[in-house]
Amino acid sequence: MAEDAQASGPVEEVDEAPQGSHVWRGPWRSVIFPLLVVSAIAAVIWWIDYRPDSGSSSVYDAKYGPVEMPAGLAPPGMAVEAKEGSLAPDFLLKTLDDSEIRLSDLRGKGVIVNLWATWCGPCRKEMPQFVAAYDRYREQGLEIIAMNLQESQSIIQPFVDDFGMDFPVALDKRGAVSDEYRIIGLPMTYFIDREGVIRNVFRGPFLERLEGTQVQGAIEGDELTRRIEEILE
Amino acid sequence: MAEQSVIRGAWWWRTARLMMVPLWATWQLLISVRWAIGLIAFLALAGLLGVIVPQVPANVRGDALAEVQWLAVQEGRFGFLTDPMNRLGFFEVFHARWFIYALGLLAVSLAVWVVSYFPSIWRAITRPRKRVNDAYFASARHRFDYATPAAGSGLESVLRRQRYTVERYQEGDTTYLFADRFQFAQLATFATHVAVVVLLAGGLVSWFSGFSNGMMIAEGSTGPVFPLTHPNQMQVELVDAVGLFSPEGRALDYRSDLVIYQGGEEVKRCTTTVNSPCSYKGYRFHQAAYFGNGADVQVRDLASGNVIYRETITLSSTLPSPRVVVRDGDGTVLLDEALVLTDILSTDEFVYYGTLVTLPDDRVISIGARRAAEDERWQLAVFEPGEGEEAVRLVLSEGESASAGGLEFVYSGLQSVPAVFVSDLPLPPGLPAGAGSGQVLVEMSNVVYGTGTASEGTAVAPAVGSGPPELTIIGLQPQAVSLRPGESVEIGGYEYSFLGQREFAGIQVKKDRSDYLIWVGTALLITGLVVTFWVPRRRLWARITPTRTYLAGQAGHLIRLDREMEDLARQEGATLDEAEGQGKDD
Repeated sequence: MAEDAQASGPVEEVDEAPQGSHVWRGPWRSVIFPLLVVSAIAAVIWWIDYRPDSGSSSVYDAKYGPVEMPAGLAPPGMAVEAKEGSLAPDFLLKTLDDSEIRLSDLRGKGVIVNLWATWCGPCRKEMPQFVAAYDRYREQGLEIIAMNLQESQSIIQPFVDDFGMDFPVALDKRGAVSDEYRIIGLPMTYFIDREGVIRNVFRGPFLERLEGTQVQGAIEGDELTRRIEEILE
Repeated sequence: MAEQSVIRGAWWWRTARLMMVPLWATWQLLISVRWAIGLIAFLALAGLLGVIVPQVPANVRGDALAEVQWLAVQEGRFGFLTDPMNRLGFFEVFHARWFIYALGLLAVSLAVWVVSYFPSIWRAITRPRKRVNDAYFASARHRFDYATPAAGSGLESVLRRQRYTVERYQEGDTTYLFADRFQFAQLATFATHVAVVVLLAGGLVSWFSGFSNGMMIAEGSTGPVFPLTHPNQMQVELVDAVGLFSPEGRALDYRSDLVIYQGGEEVKRCTTTVNSPCSYKGYRFHQAAYFGNGADVQVRDLASGNVIYRETITLSSTLPSPRVVVRDGDGTVLLDEALVLTDILSTDEFVYYGTLVTLPDDRVISIGARRAAEDERWQLAVFEPGEGEEAVRLVLSEGESASAGGLEFVYSGLQSVPAVFVSDLPLPPGLPAGAGSGQVLVEMSNVVYGTGTASEGTAVAPAVGSGPPELTIIGLQPQAVSLRPGESVEIGGYEYSFLGQREFAGIQVKKDRSDYLIWVGTALLITGLVVTFWVPRRRLWARITPTRTYLAGQAGHLIRLDREMEDLARQEGATLDEAEGQGKDD
C-alpha cells in the first residue's frame, strides 16, 4: 500500500482547513476592502436609524413656520433674532380657528408670544393670568399669541374653550418657530413691543413668582403686568 | 532618462511598500486569534469589574447632583480610590467609552476576519481539490485502505447512497473518486463569526441610537414622546387605564387605551398591556406602571365663567382611616364606616387626626386616630364634646370595643385613604386673610382599587367603603368639603368641581432598531452551531486499484472519519480482518 501510494510522487498538502490558510493579498483585498465592508454595514445601520421619518412631513404645510420679515419692517442695522433687544423673528402659522397669523402683521401692537402645551402643567396654571391680562389690556393694543407646540387641535380646543382663551392660538406643528425662538422649556414667554423689538424673555411660569397668591388679583403689581406695560409704552 | 525612470519607479514602489506596512500590520492584528482572545479576555475582566464594583444606578445616571451624592456615599467604601476609579469609569463600566470601544474593536476584528477568510472558504466549497496525488493516501490524517472486493468496487454507489456528491476519474485500471458531502456546511464557521459581529453591532446600535422615554399620564391627558421641537414629535393620550386586581388586592394585569398623535393628527388608537405593547412606526408603547389614585379637580371663576384650574391631582400619600361601628343600647347600628379624618384635634392629653360624626339622634361625637410614636399602631380616639359625666372618652386599640355614654364603639380595623397636600389649588377670593396656609389637604375615599402601593405590586386594601369615590377637600373654608364625581361646590366666587377619580398609566416608549440585528445574529449563531455539530462537511478521495482501495479524507474534529471509512468498506462488501482496516488517525 505504502509503496503504491508513495510511488506516484511527493506528499502534497491539501487545504485541510481553508479558514486557517490566509495570505496577505495586498492592502486593498486584505484591509481596505474588509474595512469598506464594515463601513458599509455601519452606514446601513446608521441610515436605518437616522433616516427621515417617512410620511410624517406630509402632514405639515410647508408654508407655515419662520418667514422672512417684510422689507421695510426691519430697520437697517437691527438684528433679527430671538433675544432681548433684537427684532422678533417673523413667522406665519395656522391658528386653531383655521385662519393664519403672521407676527409682522401685528406691528404697532404690543405682543406677547407664549409658548405652551396642554400637557405642560405650569403652562396650564399660568394661562388664566394671560386670559385676565388680555381682557384688561387688549383695548390698549395688547395682542397675545398662544403658540401651541406640536399638539392636535382636538386636544387643544377643549382646553381653549374651558379656559376662555379669546386670543389667537397659533399651531407650531413642526416646532420650527419654537426652535427659531430658542425654546429651552415650557412655558416660555416673549414680550414684543410695538416696534417689533423683544423687550423681555421670561422662562417658566409666572405663577412661580406668586406662590401662595390667589390667581385673581395676581395681575396687579406683578411681573407680568410690568412687562405688559413696558411693551405698550 | 531610462535610469531616472527606474529610480522614480523604485521610489514609488518603496513608498507604496512603506504605506502597506501599517496596513499589513493592522490586518495581521485584526485577524490574529491572540488579539481576539485578548480582547474577549479584556471584556470578560471588565464585565467582572462591572459586577464586583457598585455601578451608578440608572435613575442617578445623568443627574449631576445625584451622581455627586452617590459618589460621596462610595467614598466611605473606596476612600481615596473613589475619584480615580470614577475617572476610569469603573462605576459605569458598561457605559464607559473604553468598554464600548473594546466591543467595537472586537466587532471590527471579527468582521475583518470574516471578510478576509470568506474567499478561501468559498473557494474550498465551490472549487474543492478533486484530485490528490497518490502520496497523499499514505500521509493524510484520515486514511484507510483495504482489499478491493473480488466482485469489483462498489464504493461509488455506496458513497452516493450516503448522500455524497461523487466524481469519478479513470487512469488505466486505477479509478479515482472524489466524494463531497455537506460542502456548504463549511460556511457554518463563517455564519458563527458573522453572528457574533451582528450581535455586537446590535449592542452598539442599541447603545448609540436606542430610544427610551418614560411618562406618567393621567386619564384624559397627553404627554410628549420626544424632547421639545423634535421634528417627528408624537403625543400619547391616555384614554383609559385599567388595573385588574384579585379580591385579595393582588395586581393581576394593567391595561391602557392610548391614542397616538403625530403632526397634530391622530395616527393610531390602540391598547397596550404589560405583555403586549402598542407599536407605531417602530416605537413600542409599553405599559410600565399603574397608579390608581388621581382626582380630576376643576376650579371655575364664576365671574368670568372661565376655568382657572384643571388638574388631575396625584394623591401620592395616605392618611389613616379607622373603620368604626357604633351601636346604641339596643344594638342598633348607628354608624358603620371608614372615616375620612378632616381635622387636627387635641385634648388635654394628646393631639389626633379626627372628624366630627353626627349620629342619627343629632348627637355629635369626635372620632379620630392617634399614635404615640411613628412606629406604633394607630389607636382610635373617641371624644364627645362637653363636660358631662356621660360624655364619651375612649382610646381603643385595633379590634377592641368598649361602651361609654350609652353607646358601644367597635374599632374594627384601620384602613388608609389616598391623600395629598396641594399648594397651587386656587383658594376662594373671599377667604379671610390668615385663614389658611395656602395649602389644602385633599383626601379621596371609596377609591375603586386600593392604595398608592398598587403599582409597586404590593397588596392593596379593598375600597374602604361602598359607593362612588368621594373627594374631601380641607382648607377651602372652615368645614371640610366633600364631593362625589360630578358634584360642585361654590365658595367665595369660585366653583370647585370633582370631575371624578382618574387613573395614571406609566407608559414606556422604546425604539430599538437593534431588535432585528439581535434576531438575525441569534438565528445565524444557532444555525452555525447546529450545522457545525450535526452536519459537518466530509471530503473523501479514493484510489481504487484492482487489488486495493485507498481512502483519504477530511472532516471536522468532531467526526470519526476513520470509522466512517471502515463502515463504507463494509457496506461495499469488503472483507476486513485484523490485518486489514489499516485506518489511521494521526
